[in-house]
Amino acid sequence: MNVIQIAFKEMLLSFRNRRTLFFMLAFPLVLMLVLGTALANAFSTTAAMDTVRVLVQDQSSGAAQQGFAGFRAEMEKSGFAFTDFKPGMDGAAEVEKNNYDDYAVVTNSGIKLYGSDRNAVASNMTQGMLSAYADRYNAAAAIGAADPAKAATAFQPAPSGGYVKELSLDLDRMPGSMDYYAVALTVMIALWGAMSAANLVNSEIRQGTAARLVAAPVRKGEIFAGKVLGNLAVNMLCVLVVITFSKVVYHAYWGDNLPLVLLVLLSVVVLSTSLGLALSYLLKSSASGGLISLAVQLASFFGGAYFPLGVVEKNSLLGIAASLSPIRWANMALNNMIYLGDNTQVFQTIGLNAGLAALLLAASAYMMSKREGL
Amino acid sequence: MNVLEIQGLTKKFGNFVAVDNMTLNVKEGEIFGFLGSNGAGKSTTINMISSLLQPSAGEIRILGKDSRKHSRHAKTNLGIVPQDLAIYDDMTAYENVAFFAGLYGLRGKLLKERTEEALEFVGLGDRAKSRPSTFSGGMKRRLNIACAIAHKPSLIIMDEPTVGIDPQSRNYILESVKKLNESGCTVIYTSHYMEEVEEICSRVAIVDHGKIIADGTKEQLKAIITDVKDLSIELKPGSAYSLQSISEIPGVRAVNEKEGRLSIQSDAAVDNLNRILKSLMDGGAEVKALQEEEPNLETVFLTLTGRSLRDQ
Repeated sequence: MNVIQIAFKEMLLSFRNRRTLFFMLAFPLVLMLVLGTALANAFSTTAAMDTVRVLVQDQSSGAAQQGFAGFRAEMEKSGFAFTDFKPGMDGAAEVEKNNYDDYAVVTNSGIKLYGSDRNAVASNMTQGMLSAYADRYNAAAAIGAADPAKAATAFQPAPSGGYVKELSLDLDRMPGSMDYYAVALTVMIALWGAMSAANLVNSEIRQGTAARLVAAPVRKGEIFAGKVLGNLAVNMLCVLVVITFSKVVYHAYWGDNLPLVLLVLLSVVVLSTSLGLALSYLLKSSASGGLISLAVQLASFFGGAYFPLGVVEKNSLLGIAASLSPIRWANMALNNMIYLGDNTQVFQTIGLNAGLAALLLAASAYMMSKREGL
Repeated sequence: MNVLEIQGLTKKFGNFVAVDNMTLNVKEGEIFGFLGSNGAGKSTTINMISSLLQPSAGEIRILGKDSRKHSRHAKTNLGIVPQDLAIYDDMTAYENVAFFAGLYGLRGKLLKERTEEALEFVGLGDRAKSRPSTFSGGMKRRLNIACAIAHKPSLIIMDEPTVGIDPQSRNYILESVKKLNESGCTVIYTSHYMEEVEEICSRVAIVDHGKIIADGTKEQLKAIITDVKDLSIELKPGSAYSLQSISEIPGVRAVNEKEGRLSIQSDAAVDNLNRILKSLMDGGAEVKALQEEEPNLETVFLTLTGRSLRDQ
């Protein structure tokens, strides 16, 4: 009961705080409108699909070669134009010169893709398609290894009895600018929960109320749980409001599986709360607020909250920074789920966020138990 | 019956001993004054009683039970009025009191009744729906008290509850403390204002360097210094004199000057008044008034610690 009471108090104080309302609700909704409107042309789906030109160097053989040929034929129906690599060509240079949007090297052990920053959305889609194909091929290969007789049927479409149900190749739609920013900015505010979490304990100390809380017949664990729960509820409610507003007013597309979308966002909120709390204990001062604020802004920037990053070289500085951003993880997972029907990354992201959050929460709880007072 | 028993209480911060083997009892129904200069160990002791700090050694018993082993029992019977305001500015007065009372297990109708009662008690019944940000300093102090009393504790610890407020609010708070005590509540009261302690406390302990150096009723404490006389000499503005030469007169124990008035403590057995006056007049000072004052707690504190409490 004390936990609920403390959580409710946290919610009350948060919603009476104008800064919370501005940063968690007004700011993302206005930014969504501004960026979504200003960059609408950059997300034009027709232009993107008409001009996705992929240079392919197929070095595969046997089943892999056959599989890719089938995939290629399917994709050409959906507006992708594949050109075979010719000896003497430099694929990466061709992409750099904008002769092609992407350059793919297909081998028996995998597919390498060189993307273009010129059309980030098109490159994203190519990457998504190839990932989906690779997953399907791997699944079929596994079936073939177990029972060679079934290998042929594994590649067949699901209605005719195949074992692999393909959800992603029949692309119904691509994200418009408002769709993209609805997802990206909602993920961003989910991560912003770290900033309010960093303040959870410090604000009680600053207001002097920590003394009263500790002097009351309430266990420290109850105070901790109440505060975490309150912060989660506030941030999740803000996320829900932003999703609803973007859906109803901006007509942003959130896909057909809203519960799974919410689960991903909840995992980001849980991670952000844990991160903010752990850092506030670790740094033991108001400096934690500034540091978290900086970290969250960098994560937003490199995570594609303000502009789509598209395909980035993994080993480049941008690639490393992007790979460290929880916003990027969640963004890619949600876009793959919403537009490609591929949930693989969704579960990976939820697992990663939940795992990190559990570690951070355990560390915070330990530091709290060792501290005198709150 | 002892509401609070402290036995061998010690708190160390590294090598610094903030509270040194303190032993103290507070009886039911007392208003117990806890006096000490800044850094004397007074707040550290209060923080240990309130569970904000863990003792390095010793035992605290509240209503006969060890406060660490029976933490919930101890906390339920305790009300804390911290020196710094401990209220939420973005919650109304009612919400503040109800939130803290709720942590003590009050629910529903009882919670509502006790919250309203506490607000009425401190004179904020008509401001229940207002936020503290709209309150004066005195009103915030009163709300700070209301948050500590709604659950009707047996022992209330008030740490400097009248700091920085107007005389009217101070009187209101002092009257409230008396009323709380009359209703059966034991109070531990700390203050820099000696006259407050003198007015409301039935027993006083003086803390210095983490130890209790005197403990007793006001009369018992004043009796400690029967061998001391306290002279108050008012000088004409611009008078010149040497504190050093006065302090060197035989029998003089301490000399303090504040706003043209000299306060001199001297051995009662030594007749040195003429020498004090001569020293002043030799320096060119002109005496406007002179009186020998009755000993008070300020004198006791000064005698025992060598420092004035209010000048800390």
